[in-house]
Amino acid sequence: MTRGEGAPPPQAAWGGGSFTRALVPAAFLAPAVLPLAVFLLYPLAETFRLSLVDWNGLGSNARFIGLDNWAALAQDTRFWLALRNNLALGLLSVLVQLPIAMALAVMLDKASRGSRVLKVLYFLPLLFSSVALGVIFKNLFDPNFGAINAALQAVGLGALAIDWLGDTRFALASVITVVCWQNVPFYMILFLAGLASFPSDLQDAAKLDGASDWTVFWSLKLPHLQGTIRTAVMLAVIGSLRYFDLIYVMTGGGPDGASEVMATYMYTTVFASFRLGYGSTIAAAMFLVVMLIATLGLRLTRRFETDV
Amino acid sequence: MRTRSIFKTTLALAALSVCLSGAHAQDAKTLTQWDIRTQPSSNKVMVDAVARFEKANPGYKVERSAVLNDPYKVKLKIAFGANEPPCVFASWGGGPLREYVKAGQVLDLSPYLAKDTAFRDRFVPSAFDTTRFDGKVYGIPGEDTTLAVVHYNKELFAKLGLQTPKTWPEMVKVMDTLKANGVAPFALANKAKWPGSMVYMYLVDRIGGGEAFRKAANRSPGGSFADPAFVEAGRMLQEMVKSGAFAPGFNGLDYDVGASRRLLYTGKAAMTVMGTWEVSAALNENPEFVKKMDFFSFPTIPGGKGSTGVIGTVGDNFYSVSKACKYPDAAVELVKSLVDNEAVQARLAENRIVPVKGLTVTDPGKLRLLKMLADASNVQLWYDQELPPALGELHKDLVQALLGLSITPEEAANKMEAAAKDALR
Repeated sequence: MTRGEGAPPPQAAWGGGSFTRALVPAAFLAPAVLPLAVFLLYPLAETFRLSLVDWNGLGSNARFIGLDNWAALAQDTRFWLALRNNLALGLLSVLVQLPIAMALAVMLDKASRGSRVLKVLYFLPLLFSSVALGVIFKNLFDPNFGAINAALQAVGLGALAIDWLGDTRFALASVITVVCWQNVPFYMILFLAGLASFPSDLQDAAKLDGASDWTVFWSLKLPHLQGTIRTAVMLAVIGSLRYFDLIYVMTGGGPDGASEVMATYMYTTVFASFRLGYGSTIAAAMFLVVMLIATLGLRLTRRFETDV
Repeated sequence: MRTRSIFKTTLALAALSVCLSGAHAQDAKTLTQWDIRTQPSSNKVMVDAVARFEKANPGYKVERSAVLNDPYKVKLKIAFGANEPPCVFASWGGGPLREYVKAGQVLDLSPYLAKDTAFRDRFVPSAFDTTRFDGKVYGIPGEDTTLAVVHYNKELFAKLGLQTPKTWPEMVKVMDTLKANGVAPFALANKAKWPGSMVYMYLVDRIGGGEAFRKAANRSPGGSFADPAFVEAGRMLQEMVKSGAFAPGFNGLDYDVGASRRLLYTGKAAMTVMGTWEVSAALNENPEFVKKMDFFSFPTIPGGKGSTGVIGTVGDNFYSVSKACKYPDAAVELVKSLVDNEAVQARLAENRIVPVKGLTVTDPGKLRLLKMLADASNVQLWYDQELPPALGELHKDLVQALLGLSITPEEAANKMEAAAKDALR
């Protein structure tokens, strides 16, 4: 049958008015767009608006002060210290977590079936609640009763038994160690998944040609994983810039700001100091920093993009 | 064309969202109450008081939530920020309560007190000091009288032949003897920053007297946070740190997980400057140890202006009514029930002293505490609760920095004064 003249054009079935026609895509988009607008776009816009006021977060006594908060932020040494700590956390996360995660992934991949128990064991830290972990490590680091210093003293390394969390020189490093310990399994799983997709015939062919395990890893598997590594680096950096929980639980950003990160600083500014306006400025600045670094990072590493 | 259709889609979305929002149903005569009485015994006092109110006021129902100390502060702030505060809420008076008052969100209780003078006059007059702003009272003292004192292990003191020190030179000798015997003089867990502030506040009080802080906080003529009293207190605090007065790790230890108390329990430290609630905490954690515990008041400092001042709170928790409450009169009645005679007696039974007149106290420790309070030249609320919140936080940060030796006493004093000039106009 050929299409007759009388057959209506498809659009006509949706009715006449252009508003009604717009209603259909709107109805389909609504479930996705509404939550996004309510929980993401509105708060984001609101954060930037609040960054321009002086307000304790209560009642209607907010005072518009233009860019005063931003000017204060530029001069705020505590904020720059926090940003520096965030960057240190990001750098160390990439340099420490990813190589360890890769090493574990390669070994577990090689052991394949026999490694099921190990896989579960290595994965455990990620399953713990950060708060519980924080409390446990707080106790381990305790210089008077903690297992770490007790162990150091027992093996004659008493000189290394330092005040892990209470000394401004060591607090950040101590906390970062725990953060790394908790997050390694996540990247391990990521790499393990990447390795699993490595074609085994390729490996067999290489072996046949006399390639060593190391060459197979270095020249074949690592390039195969470059997209995964790129994702992991980006996740680690972005996660570090927004980091909050373990630091809040273990040191509260102290002592004297030594382990302060942007998120803990924002939290105390809003909830302890009652400075919602300035806290919003910190939050907005945090958003800009994350945005900038994420965009830059994705740009610079575009050539490593793969499907994996 | 494309932008127009996007515009229309947005319009349609907006229309949809309007349809979705509906009117709220209203509950019949429910009063909400938030407090921090989570421990079984003190919780029961509340539950009983609420039941008495409900019985005496048929038609009203109380919805009560008891929340842990630190989460409570955050929860309350969010509720007030969203303008949906509970009808009746607990606070510590001072700066944070004043923020809510300034925002016009707390009910002025003075008219109610003026109407019911019998209720008002039951209380020790000074108990209203921390909730009175511009001559109006915004909170009723309801829980306890808590002061910071020096708790010590009397068994350990006896073993080493030590007397409780009355002056600073005596305190230095006590500390020296303790150190010589491998015991840290003080346990301190300063992660949360307020425990360290207690030592500092007492040093300021003993050096400069009560008026040093009072004048600085009120911006009275001659009052300044850069006053020599504050500098000297910072210097003495750092001297204590340098001489090893505090058990290791003090700036990172967490009071909430008992990091300072276990130093006392194990005899690794002999003293701690802490509120009197330390005894109840120990009673829950290590009842045997409580028998070894005793306290003395912070020693005087030669040449200092203060000797009998106390740091603490008369009332501990104060109960207030929010303006958003639909039944303010009933809410005030509820507050009265929370501190009625039965509730006060029930608190006394677990050794907490609501600041009302004519209580028959038998516990010798509490009697000594009340004597200390009666003899006090001044009662100073914790700085971080008295000052506006931002300034209170700065004070605690600076004391933590002083303890960590990362700032000089002069720098700390000047920073505090600079911020106070801004905040306390």
